[in-house]
Amino acid sequence: MNFWEYLGSRHQQLLADVYQHASAVFQCMVVATVLGVVLGVVTYRSGWAGNLATTTTATLLTIPSLAMIGLLVPVVGLGVPPTVIALILYGLLPIVRNSIVGLRGVDPSLVDAATGIGMSRLARLLRVELPLAWPPILTGIRVSTQMLMGIAAIAAYASGPGLGNEIFRGIASLGSKNALNQVLAGTLGIIVLALLFDAVYVLIGRLTIPRGIRV
Amino acid sequence: MRAPESGRGGASGLGVEAGREAAIDEGLAVADAMSRAAGLGWRKLTFLPAVLVVGLLCTWLWFRHADLDPLSENALSNGQVWKALRQHIELTVISTFFVLVIAIPLGILLTRGAFRRAAPVAMTFANMGQATPAIGLLALLVIWLGIGRKAALIGIIAYAVLPVLSNTIAGLKANDPTLLEAARGIGMSPLGVLGRVELPLAVPLILAGVRTALVLNVGTATLATFGGGGGLGVLITTGITNQRMPVLVLGSILTVALALLVDWLASLAELLLSPRGLETGSG
Repeated sequence: MNFWEYLGSRHQQLLADVYQHASAVFQCMVVATVLGVVLGVVTYRSGWAGNLATTTTATLLTIPSLAMIGLLVPVVGLGVPPTVIALILYGLLPIVRNSIVGLRGVDPSLVDAATGIGMSRLARLLRVELPLAWPPILTGIRVSTQMLMGIAAIAAYASGPGLGNEIFRGIASLGSKNALNQVLAGTLGIIVLALLFDAVYVLIGRLTIPRGIRV
Repeated sequence: MRAPESGRGGASGLGVEAGREAAIDEGLAVADAMSRAAGLGWRKLTFLPAVLVVGLLCTWLWFRHADLDPLSENALSNGQVWKALRQHIELTVISTFFVLVIAIPLGILLTRGAFRRAAPVAMTFANMGQATPAIGLLALLVIWLGIGRKAALIGIIAYAVLPVLSNTIAGLKANDPTLLEAARGIGMSPLGVLGRVELPLAVPLILAGVRTALVLNVGTATLATFGGGGGLGVLITTGITNQRMPVLVLGSILTVALALLVDWLASLAELLLSPRGLETGSG
């Protein structure tokens, strides 16, 4: 059976895996983005809190994903819970860091001007600082998503959802005719998903980055 | 190394144009510069080993009193833990060596005259490569080259070359052109400019690349077990497949400790090897 025949005969299973992979990464990214930006907003004004947030998330990222999942399994069991927790934790770092760097990079005179025209603290944050910090935050989101695509594949070993199952099925049946097809389908599927997500982010960037600060 | 207070320029430089991985590294470098500026550098450097020692000691004490069933006994006896640890370190060290030997000269080459035009292509390729899941790459190599250490090593190396390459290119490109102009102006040869000006200035970014490679490789090496390459991943996978939590936890804790230790050693190297003249600029 060649690769195309394989895709044809298994398309239902594959589409289900693709959907689960994309939906797991997407949902975890939404949570990670909200948490990450909130963490950034809360900590960026204080030197030590910002550094603490950056250092902590950087340390988390140092931990190999298989080991992180290994530590989560005894606590929350197999399946979706360790996958979701691991994905959110890994997704946080680039977003937290880029939010802090972005918010700290906002020109203080602009914030002063906003104060000067009578904006409240919240209005300054929502209408001046966050829009200006948005490009680096969006980059953080892109980096996170790409990373999570690969980590979600590994999480399949702990019975997580998605295309990683296809790859591990291939590894389990090494030597059989379909091993290559399975691994190839899983790997290419993840690459295609990652590129699609990335294209969407480029589009989001086009639509949401204020015209005045486009590079 | 760019100072964190370089403001908008720094943020957008990190954010928009820089390559993915370069963005991550630069971020880490910025974070380091921040902690150094805050005088946290050395305190942070002594904090982590202390935590590691306490953590490992607790694990050891827990294991002395844990009663293991035969299956767990079997997975941990006869020095298999040490063997896995040793294999893991070997995989990391060998792969990091090759990553550096491949990526840094290639990065230098791609910023030289005639090859400069190829650099954007290489960067695009590097970014595309980042979308490939490590486990898929490893599985494909195992199918192609057969089970064993070789496939695992090649997979680990291939996975880390791209980030280090884009890091080196970004580092060399970020050098102030007026400094290079000045070096040429006082009559330095192209090789002299490279060896005595460009490379020393790019040392922080190259070291950040080394750190990324090491940390990535410790992580990818946990996957070597899926291709019969050994390493601490063996304990983790045995623990998950046999549902033996002690094996799983021990494997995971050792992997985490190794990863943090390697990162710590690399940050020590960054602190010690960065050219003195650049530190005041970043502080």
